[in-house]
Amino acid sequence: MAIGNARIETAPYRPGLRDRFGEWLDRETILGPAFVTPALLLLVFLVAYPFGMAIYLSLSNAFIGRPSHLIGLQNFINLWQSDAFRQTFQNAFVFTGLAVAFKVVLGIWLALLLNEQLWFKRLIRGAVLLPWVIPTALSTLGWWWMFNSLYSVVNWTGINLGIMDPPGPNWLGQKYYAMAAVVAVNVWRGLPFFAITILAGLVAIPKELYEAAHTDGAGPVARFWYVTLPLLSPVLAIVILFSTIFTFSDFNIVFVLTHGGPINSTHLFATLARQVGLETGRLGEGAAISLYLFPVLVMVVYAQLRFVRKRAY
Amino acid sequence: MRQSRRQFLATTSTGLAAILAAKTPPALGQAREISYLCWNNFAPASDKKLAEIGQKFTKDTGIKIRIDHIAAPQQAAKYASEVQTQAGHDLVEMRMHFPWLYEPQLVDVSDLVGEMEKQYGKTLSSATEAARVKGTWRAVPQYHHIFAPAYREDLFKKASLKVPDTWEDLYTVGKELKKMGNPVGIPISQNYDSISTAGPVLWAFGGMEVDKDGKTVKINSPAAAQMVEWYKKMYKDCMEPEVLSWTDASNNESLQQGKAGWIHNPVSAYIVARNMKLATADGINHHRTLAGPAGRHETDVPRTIGIWKFSKNVEPAKEWIRYLIGKKEVYDDYIMSGDAFNMPVYTNHQDHPVFKTDPKFANLKSEGVQYHIYGWPAPPSDKIQLITNSFILPNMIAKAVTGTSTKDAVAWADTEMKKIVAG
Repeated sequence: MAIGNARIETAPYRPGLRDRFGEWLDRETILGPAFVTPALLLLVFLVAYPFGMAIYLSLSNAFIGRPSHLIGLQNFINLWQSDAFRQTFQNAFVFTGLAVAFKVVLGIWLALLLNEQLWFKRLIRGAVLLPWVIPTALSTLGWWWMFNSLYSVVNWTGINLGIMDPPGPNWLGQKYYAMAAVVAVNVWRGLPFFAITILAGLVAIPKELYEAAHTDGAGPVARFWYVTLPLLSPVLAIVILFSTIFTFSDFNIVFVLTHGGPINSTHLFATLARQVGLETGRLGEGAAISLYLFPVLVMVVYAQLRFVRKRAY
Repeated sequence: MRQSRRQFLATTSTGLAAILAAKTPPALGQAREISYLCWNNFAPASDKKLAEIGQKFTKDTGIKIRIDHIAAPQQAAKYASEVQTQAGHDLVEMRMHFPWLYEPQLVDVSDLVGEMEKQYGKTLSSATEAARVKGTWRAVPQYHHIFAPAYREDLFKKASLKVPDTWEDLYTVGKELKKMGNPVGIPISQNYDSISTAGPVLWAFGGMEVDKDGKTVKINSPAAAQMVEWYKKMYKDCMEPEVLSWTDASNNESLQQGKAGWIHNPVSAYIVARNMKLATADGINHHRTLAGPAGRHETDVPRTIGIWKFSKNVEPAKEWIRYLIGKKEVYDDYIMSGDAFNMPVYTNHQDHPVFKTDPKFANLKSEGVQYHIYGWPAPPSDKIQLITNSFILPNMIAKAVTGTSTKDAVAWADTEMKKIVAG
């Protein structure tokens, strides 16, 4: 019997379309961009394009429905000459500074409280979120009613408790009271965000650290100062960063409560931008008002993110 | 007739190619359909009536109409987005100076206004100021809301107070009203009702913000100083500090809830009190617009209808306006549904039956009153509108009544207005 080197002919292996598609997707160079593209498109169309458009508008003399041309930084320069704008600029810092400061202090306090063993803990934690969940315009209308000169329950309560002289403060008609009112509502609304986020940070702190501190003789204040606060600082930095940006760009509270008054004393960039850009049609100036603080906010973001990175590594 | 698949594909694709090439649908497919965007009227019955009229219009003309409503504060943003995207409704309801704001985007409707004026007489001064932009009608006046003095007639009678005829008379009775616990309620805050009263008072004293050339700021004048002084004494002796925080609705509420004895407002304050059967309703009445040394002036809110230039249905849109305003029985029906909140805006209609639907409306006719929109006599250009929307006039008054000297308050307003006019 002779043994030859005859070969058996077989058809070459051709994977099916599905397998080939699977193989194709297995390549990192394909899969990575495929996952990123939808998010990138969203960012380009919903963030980058409007932002680019806003920058273009702020550098132009755009007016609703009319041809416009670039005028450089003229809008930004002109705005600074307006008394209402300068007042708004000041208001934005006072409003944001006060509101964020109160939210930090009260947020930590509330988070520490919620971290304790409480009856109905889950119910309380859920209830704390309510101001954050209710639509702002709706809840601010409730506050407007409470500060209203004719029906103010705040004044009614204060007068009946003997801590206010009738007729009580003119909450929305006097500049300092009006600022206090808008800050109070912003704190009321933003507090749950602070409290819940800080609570998440608190829960993540290992109990052993507290036990060790306790063994070393640290009291409650020392434990808070040397254990809790340092370990919370990355979370706090992020919360403060977000809150600073949101508070600077607040609109609903001021629009509903005071419309920017009295005498522009509570106007913020967003409410003034609406007044100038939409009510009056001066899109260029409106966009410039909105973007005025952009460089400052970029610096705030940079500084805080840098701080967070330093703490993390 | 039986067609093969190939024949069917050939026929339909040829037809589709022809339509695409011509960019015009075949006559059968040309839907005569228009859309109309208007505000949520403060007289809700008026919106219901508008829907009814829309249905009748479709039945009578074969043109379908879709009527959408939007809250007044959202109008500016919505209209701006329609203009910027060149898409949206065919017709839009416009408040006050809107035709000036969107002038390049609005169809010339001078032909329609000519038809209406031929039938109903000239439009009232304020509607002309609002809708005739640089000699061309950019919107058709439909109705207006007038501001008028509303007062507690029962309290006036009880205290034997004379119904005022001038702004100075109001100070005299206002002092008594405040003593009675029913102060005068004129808002001095960042809202439009504040401007709606400050304007007429300024005009009545002979002042103005900007001259009719639209360039020369005239606020720094003896007349404006007189007006500010009047406000100062009114604030001190006839009103309460709450007016510094008021919204557009606050004066209505104050009158309806039995606090204010006199307010300056559209007739809605009374209508709401009457319809809600409030205890104060019977005691509320209206009186003639107050006068000053320079006459009897009043602010009103003319409402007009414009057609966007980007609309592909300009002719059917014009048909709608002809039907709604030009057909007398339809227009009358529409006006009557507004319960005197929507007043006819053509001169021959100033004795309209709507004034007779309630004895409290009799004094709203206001013979001899000159109606103006904000910023008069200056044309409502974007600069004048920025002055209005920046609330410079009420803020000038607010500064003065809270401690700034009259001279400084007026000088502040002068500076701010000049910056806007020059910018």
